[in-house]
Amino acid sequence: MLELRIHGRGGQGVVTLAELLAKGALKAGKEAQTLPFFGVERRGAAVKACVRIAEEPILLRSMSYQPGYIALMHGNMLPYAKLEGFRQGKEAAPVFIINGKEPLEVEAEQWLVDGEGIAEEQGLVFGGEAYINVPMLGAVARVMGLPLEDIEAAIREQWPGQKAQPNLAAARKAYGQVKRVENIKNPGETEKGRSRQ
Amino acid sequence: MSRQIATGNAACALAVKAANVDFIAAYPITPQTTISEKLADYAAAGELTGKYLTVESEHSVMSAVAAAAATGARTFTATSSQGLLYMNEILHYAAGGRLPVVMVNVNRAVCAPWCLYADHQDSVSQRDTGWLQFYCASHQEIYDSIFLAYKVAEQVEIPVMINYDGFLLSHSMLPFETLEQEVIDNYLPVRQPAWRLHPLWGGTFSNVAAAAEYAAYRHKLARDTREALPVIKAAISEYEKLTGRPQPGLIQSSRRGQTGTEGQTGAEGQTGAEGQAGAEGQAGAEGQAGAEGQTGTERQTGAEGQAQVYLLSMGSMAAEMELAAEELTRQGISTAALKLRVYRPFPAEELAALLPDGSALIVLDRNLAYGHEGGVLLMEARSALYGCAKNIKIAGSAIGIGGQDLPVSLLVEEVRRLLEVAKA
Repeated sequence: MLELRIHGRGGQGVVTLAELLAKGALKAGKEAQTLPFFGVERRGAAVKACVRIAEEPILLRSMSYQPGYIALMHGNMLPYAKLEGFRQGKEAAPVFIINGKEPLEVEAEQWLVDGEGIAEEQGLVFGGEAYINVPMLGAVARVMGLPLEDIEAAIREQWPGQKAQPNLAAARKAYGQVKRVENIKNPGETEKGRSRQ
Repeated sequence: MSRQIATGNAACALAVKAANVDFIAAYPITPQTTISEKLADYAAAGELTGKYLTVESEHSVMSAVAAAAATGARTFTATSSQGLLYMNEILHYAAGGRLPVVMVNVNRAVCAPWCLYADHQDSVSQRDTGWLQFYCASHQEIYDSIFLAYKVAEQVEIPVMINYDGFLLSHSMLPFETLEQEVIDNYLPVRQPAWRLHPLWGGTFSNVAAAAEYAAYRHKLARDTREALPVIKAAISEYEKLTGRPQPGLIQSSRRGQTGTEGQTGAEGQTGAEGQAGAEGQAGAEGQAGAEGQTGTERQTGAEGQAQVYLLSMGSMAAEMELAAEELTRQGISTAALKLRVYRPFPAEELAALLPDGSALIVLDRNLAYGHEGGVLLMEARSALYGCAKNIKIAGSAIGIGGQDLPVSLLVEEVRRLLEVAKA
């Protein structure tokens, strides 16, 4: 079973990201689950959501405490990820997918994507804010080994018609551009379908 | 049948739309709100056959649906926590009036302190209102229970409250299979009430009764509630036959071949339903269902036959409890999880029949029975097993209050602690 935990802030589209990923996983023939945690349900407050992707029906109903993957909507969400906990150490640590340009100080495999850049390029800017959840969706799907076409199908369902276009473009771009940080302490060959419970 | 992934509240709204409900009244409260929002969307899009009424409080909601049910309408509403508590007075009316209202209560802790997250204090505190109560552990059970609830409510003329955990099921996404409209219409024909209010027919409803009449009436409700158990079993069985989809019984054991007296329901077509789950690597679960014809909602655990330890719970934690039972079995304690689907009427005989002589029953409640240890299920279980010829050790506790997260590791630890209590 693959487990992802996303840390972001209310209003960033964390729940939508989780749901589109789960929908894509279902289209890929997998079982899937999302578990959002809203906290105080306020814009700007720290939020988290878990996604599980498995071959068998999922019976877990609790949050992920030792996920194989952690997505950070911004590098400054790392303290929240630490607070919630994850496995420590070179081999055991989760794979991080981070919206940002610089690696973080954490001993783990890290993948970076310029979510803001991609969102702005595709015009995914609303109320002066770049919406990075779809670029992050593309990046996370790539790192977790989900086919792009299934993610695209989930996006088309979410935004029928023309509205799908910038989102599809953003997801594709991020899927292609997300890059593993080399020369950090724990490189490893883990491009696809890494399973850590 | 088609398979999709959505939130528990979306699964609920889809089923309500398909159930040909005549009348819906609703008032928003977290975490139920997205059900009434979705139903309002359906109404606005002209996709609902029935009327949708917005009112100013839950007390008015229940007054409206009870009154509509008295005119012969099939009715629905949803609420949570304080909203359910505010309905309390009319809950008694609906049951006393023998009005087959179906309501979803998305379980949420009650005030004070203020809390948005799941526990069962709201619904168990309404135990003696005369409503039947079902609990769900998955989105498939939410979807299926809507149809089951109408089937049962309209037959026994007692309202049904379907309960599922706030956020853990209401706002999480899980896959489930929907049914063709034709199958649903076949299972749920138009309601045929024994009587109803009508402006041209006269008659009154809920008039003043003297003690003798009142007592007879209320005793009949109590008797009919107990006698609803075989009706529910038959409704589950018919649903399985029509849909080809395995259904959990009144109490579902995670052990294959363990059925108690709950009347193992139709085995045909079960492998088909399992097969449609569609993912690779399912062969194990499929094969088991096929071989045993066991009714399991999601998958079968490996072990077969009787266990030494049984874990009784209801709601979402009953799903995770299956994993706890597997873990305990791996640790050398042969354990099975018992998922309670029907809390009112309480299937006492079924519980006693499932438990072998000399076994231990650990009861985990997501509610508190103030003035008593643990929660209400522990009391129910003790009562059900008192005077039973078998020697069964019982212990229990209240956990997961206010949405406290219940990962497998915590469940296993708590069960191991309670096993020591049961021995002593």
